[in-house]
Amino acid sequence: MKKKKLLATLLTATLAFSLTACGGVAEENTAETVVEKAETTTETAEEAQPEAVENKVVDGITSYGGLTAMADADDPITFTYFLRDSGVAPSEDNPFINKIQELTGVTLKYEYLVGDLDQKLGVMMAGGDYPDLIFAGDSATKLMSEGALIPLEDYLPNYPNLWAMYKDTIEEQKQEDGHVYQLEMYAYLNNDGITSAPPIFEAGIGFFVQKAVLEWAGYPEIKTLDQYFDVIEGYLAENPTIDGVATRGFEILNDGWRNWGLINEPQCLMGASNDGAMFVDTTKTPYESSFYQISEEAHTFYKKLNEEYNKGVINAECLTENYDQYIANITSGSVLGFFDQRWNFQQGESLLKNDGKYERTYVAVPVTAPGVTDGYVDGSNGLPTGSNGVGISINCKNPERVLAYFDWLLQREVQDYLRWGVEGTDWNYTDGNSDRVLTDEAREIRRDTAKARDLTGNELAKYTPGWWGLYQDGCAANTDQSAAEYLAQQTEYDQAFLEAYNIQYPAELLSPPTVRPAYYPIWAMNLGDGSEASVVNEKITDLCVKSFSRMVLAKDETEYENLWSTFLTDFDALNTDALKDEVDRQIAAKMGW
Amino acid sequence: MIKKIKTNKALYFMLLPCVAYTFLFSYYPLTGWIMAFQNFKPARGYKGSEFVGLAQFKFLFTDIEFWRSFRNTLAMSLLNLVFSFLFAIVFALLLNEIKNKKFKSITQTVSYLPHFLSWIIVCSLVQTMLSTGSDGVVNNLLMALHIIKEPILFLGEQKLFWWVTTFASVWKETGWNSIIYIAAITGIDQELYEAAELDGAGRFGKMWHVTLPGIRSTIVVLLIMNLGWALNAVFEIPYILGGGLLTDVSQTIDLFVLNYGMKIGNYSLATAAGIFKSVISLILVFGTNRIANKLGENSLM
Repeated sequence: MKKKKLLATLLTATLAFSLTACGGVAEENTAETVVEKAETTTETAEEAQPEAVENKVVDGITSYGGLTAMADADDPITFTYFLRDSGVAPSEDNPFINKIQELTGVTLKYEYLVGDLDQKLGVMMAGGDYPDLIFAGDSATKLMSEGALIPLEDYLPNYPNLWAMYKDTIEEQKQEDGHVYQLEMYAYLNNDGITSAPPIFEAGIGFFVQKAVLEWAGYPEIKTLDQYFDVIEGYLAENPTIDGVATRGFEILNDGWRNWGLINEPQCLMGASNDGAMFVDTTKTPYESSFYQISEEAHTFYKKLNEEYNKGVINAECLTENYDQYIANITSGSVLGFFDQRWNFQQGESLLKNDGKYERTYVAVPVTAPGVTDGYVDGSNGLPTGSNGVGISINCKNPERVLAYFDWLLQREVQDYLRWGVEGTDWNYTDGNSDRVLTDEAREIRRDTAKARDLTGNELAKYTPGWWGLYQDGCAANTDQSAAEYLAQQTEYDQAFLEAYNIQYPAELLSPPTVRPAYYPIWAMNLGDGSEASVVNEKITDLCVKSFSRMVLAKDETEYENLWSTFLTDFDALNTDALKDEVDRQIAAKMGW
Repeated sequence: MIKKIKTNKALYFMLLPCVAYTFLFSYYPLTGWIMAFQNFKPARGYKGSEFVGLAQFKFLFTDIEFWRSFRNTLAMSLLNLVFSFLFAIVFALLLNEIKNKKFKSITQTVSYLPHFLSWIIVCSLVQTMLSTGSDGVVNNLLMALHIIKEPILFLGEQKLFWWVTTFASVWKETGWNSIIYIAAITGIDQELYEAAELDGAGRFGKMWHVTLPGIRSTIVVLLIMNLGWALNAVFEIPYILGGGLLTDVSQTIDLFVLNYGMKIGNYSLATAAGIFKSVISLILVFGTNRIANKLGENSLM
């Protein structure tokens, strides 16, 4: 087929040349007609022999001819797809998503989350009313134990790209019943050298502080809570308002399930990252789990918060505010610090960037208890998280079609098209073709949430399996994993900031990434529906949320100590062993002990 | 009996759809109560789920959180009931005394408009008004009047939360609730007022001796009906404004069921709590009915 195309092109070129050689307007028109005709012939040739397209394997990824139509593209099908995220569906005019729809015949109809995820899933399960595809995040385990998702391990070997992506970690993806129920979307998975783990530029979790505060303090090294609050206090005293809004020293988000801003810090101070309900000491074998909620670090931490509240650094109101108000506060640029996870405050930060307030954006600092090495940054262990996968429900109309579609999407050409766009208009190679950068226009579009949703393929790529990390040629699979693109995105202010600290990426302020053991994390474990362990887990969270927020607002030290001892008594009254035993059992099972 | 049915055949026939409807939507779902005595898993169904007897109830009744939720539900419902009745009746009485017809109808319309706002909007309004920041109207007012020196964190104070819920719903529902009383008041025979006037009754005398007794049966019927709903009456405000600092006073039975039932997939517990709520509601309804009977009022049953 290639030869025919070449022939047609040659023919056209020759004709065009010979005609232009004669000169004149009329001839030019004729030339165009000929070109058109030649193209038509090529298309007919393609249609006549679709089987002539041969699958080639490049760097381990099978290509079915890139952006060419799938065999059943003329048989349109729509799959409903429930997402654990709240959001807005991409515009119907989205050029990238439309093109993929046209080539595959598959339309994904997103149903975004409204309200509480667990409640929504609970209702879904009670009625047996499942959409075709479900992305339920860390609550997916409920669907699995309910039998709502179909096992995929027997299907996967039939799809070359899906198999290439998942085969090396298939054992780790299996649930305790021996089945694989979902396809991991957001983790780098060990594979046969197709991709390598992506570099980490920024910390995903931690004590964040405004760059302006560090600049004001002369770029100090911050390792302890005292140092952290000292710079915030100092800056707050000199800048009672920022852009006309009263400055807030430290914000604590505590709204429903978004409660980690209040209750998760002690485990990080002890050197963990975002493990979950318990702290696991991995220096011992077998690992020792304990409740960080009642640790000495927790006692010191909330006492410190209480002191800061009494000094006016923490505004009591933040404990009663909801997520939207929290984001609004961050967007105003008047919040100096908080403990959070990057994805949770990202939308606030991107608005700050849009306004050009780069000095009001945030960077994480390695705050820990004295003598503890921080473990904020998760290195990729190449294993599935088990909590970020798409599952196919038992109600799905045509599971094979879905898998063939996912398999098709995993072609390098399609991945590049969805995640990066079109070469030349959206992105260009950097020197040596070993990395890529977006064009300025494409970058502008991606900065604006609404435009990124409506004008790029992001919203489709985000909710389907995709390659993660760096391809063999050095190019990043996704724009946010590309070193060249990351550096290109840094403004002058950011560059000056990084230079002042003499680092290349903000993540270098913290310790190098820690590669996590196989059990990690606890929060993704399935504790069993309605089991004693899950009830206790819920009770611990409820107790911590209400007790810690009260401790922060204590009038003085005596009241604080009273609240702390009441908290300890209440905590002891819970059947915490039920949770600890279950967690220990699952750690041992995952570690093969 | 059969003869009676035969003579009124058409009437019974017309009743049939209603009976079927009631059965289908009010009685048939009660078969689901069996879940409360099982360790129910939707995948296994009623037949396959393990029978656990009263274990779910035991868990509920030994759990301090549940009793706290029960107390909160009862307290908020009763406060809500008392104040919404009081405000609605007084509002209806006062509105009735307004002579200017245009002013009266405008007031009435304006007063029941908040009813059409959704709770999420009302709660945001409450949150903004009670905030300690610059747009917290209530704190600003109290400080301007020198009643308080420092702004109060209304939504962080446990002892204030019940009052916040009560007055939020009073603000929202007073106008709407008073409509029915206003209708009842218009039904009172005008001659009674004239007679009272002859006997020398003033405005308040007429209100007390004519209007109020005139709407007494309406009040009692509404009271009985509302008591049946009392335990369902408060959900939105604690759901939106409660939690966190306020969990101890804001968690209601419904929220408890959401957290410990639906959220962790324990449907049996949710059902058990639902049954408990129904029993309490029945007791409340029959209790009031009894009292109303004793007082010589028309009762519902």
